Amino acid sequence: MHPISWQSVDHSLDECIKCNICTSYCPVSAVTDLFPGPKYCGPQAQRFREPGQPQTPDDSVDYCSGCRVCNDVCPAGVKIAEMNARARAQIVADRGLPLRNRLLGRNDKLAALGSIAPVFANLAMHNPLSRLLAEKLMGIARHAPLPRWSENGTFRDWLRRSTRRRLRGPKKVVYFHACSTLHYEPFVGQATVSVLEHNGYEVIVPPQGCCGLPLLSNGEFEAAAGYHQRNVATLSSFARAGFPIVGASTSCTLTLKEEAPELLDMHDDATHQLAQGTWDICEWLVQLHAVGELRTDFQPMPWVLPYHAPCQQRAHRVGKPALELLRLIPGLDVRESHARCCGIAGTYGYKTEKYQIAMDVGQELFDFVEAQGDELVYTACDSETCRWQMEHGTSIPSRHPVEFLAAAYGLYDLERRALL
Amino acid sequence: MAEPALDLLVIGAGLSGLSAALFAAQAGLGVRVVARGLGALHWIPATLDLLGYRPGREHAVTQPLTAFDALPAEHPYRRMGAEAVAAALDGLAQSLAQAGLPYAGHAGRQNIPLPSPAGVARPVYLAPAAQLAGRLDDPAPLLIVGFQGMRDFYPTLAAHHLAQAGVQARAVYLPYDLITDRRDANNVHLAQELEAPARRQALAHALRGLVAPGERIGLPAILGIDQHVAVWRELEAAVGAPVFEIPTLPPSVPGIRLHRVLVQQISLLGGRVEPNMAVTDFAAAGDHITWVETATSARPLRHHAKAFLLATGGILGGGFQSDPSGRVWETIFGLSLTVPQGREHWFRPAFLDPQGHPVYQGGVQTGVDFRPAADGAPRYANLWAAGSVLAHADPIHERSREGLAVACAAGAVQAILAHLGHPAAIPASRSAGQPAG
Repeated sequence: MHPISWQSVDHSLDECIKCNICTSYCPVSAVTDLFPGPKYCGPQAQRFREPGQPQTPDDSVDYCSGCRVCNDVCPAGVKIAEMNARARAQIVADRGLPLRNRLLGRNDKLAALGSIAPVFANLAMHNPLSRLLAEKLMGIARHAPLPRWSENGTFRDWLRRSTRRRLRGPKKVVYFHACSTLHYEPFVGQATVSVLEHNGYEVIVPPQGCCGLPLLSNGEFEAAAGYHQRNVATLSSFARAGFPIVGASTSCTLTLKEEAPELLDMHDDATHQLAQGTWDICEWLVQLHAVGELRTDFQPMPWVLPYHAPCQQRAHRVGKPALELLRLIPGLDVRESHARCCGIAGTYGYKTEKYQIAMDVGQELFDFVEAQGDELVYTACDSETCRWQMEHGTSIPSRHPVEFLAAAYGLYDLERRALL
Repeated sequence: MAEPALDLLVIGAGLSGLSAALFAAQAGLGVRVVARGLGALHWIPATLDLLGYRPGREHAVTQPLTAFDALPAEHPYRRMGAEAVAAALDGLAQSLAQAGLPYAGHAGRQNIPLPSPAGVARPVYLAPAAQLAGRLDDPAPLLIVGFQGMRDFYPTLAAHHLAQAGVQARAVYLPYDLITDRRDANNVHLAQELEAPARRQALAHALRGLVAPGERIGLPAILGIDQHVAVWRELEAAVGAPVFEIPTLPPSVPGIRLHRVLVQQISLLGGRVEPNMAVTDFAAAGDHITWVETATSARPLRHHAKAFLLATGGILGGGFQSDPSGRVWETIFGLSLTVPQGREHWFRPAFLDPQGHPVYQGGVQTGVDFRPAADGAPRYANLWAAGSVLAHADPIHERSREGLAVACAAGAVQAILAHLGHPAAIPASRSAGQPAG
């Protein structure tokens, strides 16, 4: 049985001209023989993935990190990353998946559980013994950079506490805060809200759930479809009414826009409206700037700042709006990373068998950061897991670009990660 | 405060698009390059071939700059003239050298015969410095070295064909694990391996034991990527004999080096190259193109610019598309093509016909200023075209692909500068920054 549909990638398979550009740029096959490369696991293997063929796809496809660099560089428009994601889902559908991947795919549930008693959760998860046990029993790499739960309440707790201070007005945006901001980094949400309000927008935060990306990248398509349907149900009416839906978790906004509808073959009107109405926060702010409506009352920041546009941000195919925004801050010497990937790729680098691969992939980025001098205070990146990996690989604190904007507006303390 | 309008949007990131972006950025224009993926430079041997063969003639051209008369009257070279074509190539070579990727050619502006991976002479105008010691008009014998298990590079085949052509050459295979511990690696991975000093020393040691006095050593083009010149020169010094690269099948490391240096130089001058932006639509008001849209993960992204340059290449580059009926069309602006509509007219019966094939000779017709034209008038006032997308040239048969790309890019940028009222000259000597190596 082949329950995973190959819709949307079938024709792109025939566009492959076998030029090997994808294999030359794949950051994973550059560091390990365990992944033979996008061309082999994608369009080459795809020819044999026909209904009635006895074999499920080659196991090596599980070593694809899903970073999408192959899609980025392909001159023929082949949807290689989607082929690999579907192949992995096929393996999961045929053979099931380990408990570890089930858990990593449901980070939203784990995170919510920890938020009940965050101090206890941090103690329980962030000690050498439990990390060793998690590695031995579950295959979660003991050195991988797990986040800490917010001990000052969730982002929604803060929203409730600050209701009376929130801006009300005719200009409104919807904020998709995603799981990480909700449970681990509420301060990224606070910075986002403050930047939007500073520009005169009322921020609406409707009920919402996990975008389903961790499930998609672990091959659980059916569960991911349920997640996406719930978000479509709660959010698409806002898109239909013309409210932009912005998010600061760039992989989650990418999932709402493209990954979920494409991989899950969801092409109904409501899904489409949500996709078309969703923006990455920097993408949205930069178009505000393009029409002269972004406030630029930025205070100077006298630093060198290495900025890494993460893979999932580049997959939006909107350029690097964060780079443009950061360069508006006077005094900030923003250095653009051209590293392909930090390695972590969502849940990939947390898996024991993939931890070292992820660190080897990230070396290119860590080396770039190191080459920018000894005086670095921060690095910047749009994706939470990538920031954690960059901190893990370089020992330099990393922040979301929107945190820099909030700080440059004089609204936010970058070091304490708190509103002023 | 709104952003200032972009001066030039280049569509396509092959040699024509990137050369044009570099020339324009050097002249001070604000430039953005949008392309679908990383393109043609990853497939080419990275020599700058100007004119290797004339239509109808089987023997190679030795003096390319004086052979333009044999080309069709509407050929871009004839419209530009030998002096402008040579200046464009010299200008690019100079910029590349200043950026740490030296190119050189014959002192008397002749073609130089260099070996292909199959051991056949290719008439080359300018070559990366590391390829030049392989020139086949030099009587010194060749030692072609390959690696057991490396794909698509067969020294025995190359030496056999060279010997047939009267060139003294012999072949040797070295073990694959001398240069990599990988089970399987492509040319790019191998080139990265050789950036490690220990790998280079091991290779130099093996080569010293193989080379006979007076021999030159030809290796597949995997001598480093970002540190290429240092890798090559150190290897040569350690071996004590001339070492040269023979270009490989794709992925072509010399092409990737060229791509990286061009992108780096454009970026240093403030331009941007966006490799994952496929053009989906455009709009025109009157005879002016106002914007071009590229696909994103959701809504199209709109690029406004004062000038637009079409550098999307031919069939392989994606500039043309065809359907099973034999219809061929230009993919972005729907410009009319001189390509024969109908498969039966695409090819002559003989595969290696010295006249070439009509399908490769067709393309977009332009005026002398490289603006696509219909009935003798520009189709749009602010649209130019360069490279393999153009008509009246046969880059495959003429072996003129890179010369056409660079020359047309320079010609189009000149016209764009004039159109924008800019001091209309391409500075040949301005370079963007520090040497890369």
